[in-house]
Amino acid sequence: MKNSKMYLSTETMNLGFVRKVEALSGSSVRRCFQCGKCSAGCPMRTFMEHPPNRIVRLLQLGQWERVLAGRSIWYCASCETCSSRCPNKVDLAAIMDALRKLSWDANGPSKESYVQLANRLFIENIKTYGRQYEMRLAAVFNIKSGQFMKDFLLGPKLLTKGKLKVFHQKNRNIGEIEQIFSRIEEMRKKGEAP
Amino acid sequence: MPTKNILNYSYYPGCSLHASAKEYDESTKGLFKTLRIGLKEVPNWFCCGATPAHNVDELLSLSLCAKNLSLADNEEGDLAVACAACFSRLKTAQHRLADNDVKRKQVEVAIDGAVPLEKPVKHLLEILAKDYGLDRLADAVKKPLNGLKVATYYGCLLTRPPDVPELDCCEAPTIMENVIAATGAEPVAWSHRLECCGANFTLSRPGVVLNLSNAILASAKRAGADCIMVACPLCHGNLDIRQKEIEEANGTRYGMPVFYMTQLLGLAVGVPATKLGLESMIVNPLPLLKEKNLL
Repeated sequence: MKNSKMYLSTETMNLGFVRKVEALSGSSVRRCFQCGKCSAGCPMRTFMEHPPNRIVRLLQLGQWERVLAGRSIWYCASCETCSSRCPNKVDLAAIMDALRKLSWDANGPSKESYVQLANRLFIENIKTYGRQYEMRLAAVFNIKSGQFMKDFLLGPKLLTKGKLKVFHQKNRNIGEIEQIFSRIEEMRKKGEAP
Repeated sequence: MPTKNILNYSYYPGCSLHASAKEYDESTKGLFKTLRIGLKEVPNWFCCGATPAHNVDELLSLSLCAKNLSLADNEEGDLAVACAACFSRLKTAQHRLADNDVKRKQVEVAIDGAVPLEKPVKHLLEILAKDYGLDRLADAVKKPLNGLKVATYYGCLLTRPPDVPELDCCEAPTIMENVIAATGAEPVAWSHRLECCGANFTLSRPGVVLNLSNAILASAKRAGADCIMVACPLCHGNLDIRQKEIEEANGTRYGMPVFYMTQLLGLAVGVPATKLGLESMIVNPLPLLKEKNLL
């Protein structure tokens, strides 16, 4: 960077975005004082371009576009180590959830966010069957993400061990789940839910 | 003559226990029957949403858990949960909704009913160690697992974050060690019992799992463990089903059987080995069990 000096003002800090993250996650972003304990314990740290403490710092400085465009949020494993160790009770795992939602809503699928594709398929299965259907989840994910041969050798092994169920479990009261999905959608249309 | 149960619970197995973790379900039922602890499956339970739901849509995740809690509330007894992820999600929902009136009202609209915030939700470990009791568990042992060195693996969601599962301390828990020591087995001291295995990246980023789970297997081996004990279907999948891949990717060999805690406990209290789903494990545990004279 040519000019490494940074000037802070309420405008550059873009507190509007911070407030959005705080409302979605139920956790303070502003309380972080950069001790770095979250990053020290993060098992996914080596896969991220911005470690967890820097994600929070970028948010505090209004640089949320860099956070949403980067790959870090898609490498968080939701292991909750950061949230457990934060001395200031910043729930970083919940902040990561909020950032993933905001990134997906703003940018849709991307190279980095294809993890979210697996998550979406998982939820689609719940909507259709009421319970998870592991074989369909793996098969559809591999097709949609273009990795046709992924875990090709694992399938037959799991089948012979009886661990892969070819037929799905279905909940007889599936209507109740469909209602939950449609009520949430309705609330969102009316602007009553995030 | 049927004997009366000492304790009774409603039971939420979760999706994995009906599919890739069926041996966890089978061994849980076998163990609890032998200990005379009643488990009655919650009728028509739904998926709790696990990690994917809260990664995408927190309101949906909370609503799915609230729905399951209200189904469980119609049944008698505290809710027993086997899967660490389901346990964590159900407890998280109770915790978040008790704290947040706005979110609770949204969830109440979504499930069209009240959320049973006070319904006791207990992991199997808690039932065995606290409700049933370690002394009674030790008395029930018919075949002590003497000489078996066990690496007890907690993973992430049994203990974290500290104020949610309320199972044990999140940095230095002892509940798994206490339970397995009651059978005469020897829990080893090791470094990676609370580290993440890569969790649900097993589908979308298996490379991450090969990396993180390798560190866990290596640590257990270094500590001299004969086997690993888990209480989570996803941890089991990553450490057991992917173990061969991990070995190939890292040019090493572990051959480390990964048991569900209910399989080892079941073996100790005299559940027939054929009822523990040992044949479903990918890393064959039989040579180890024969060597230790446990079959």
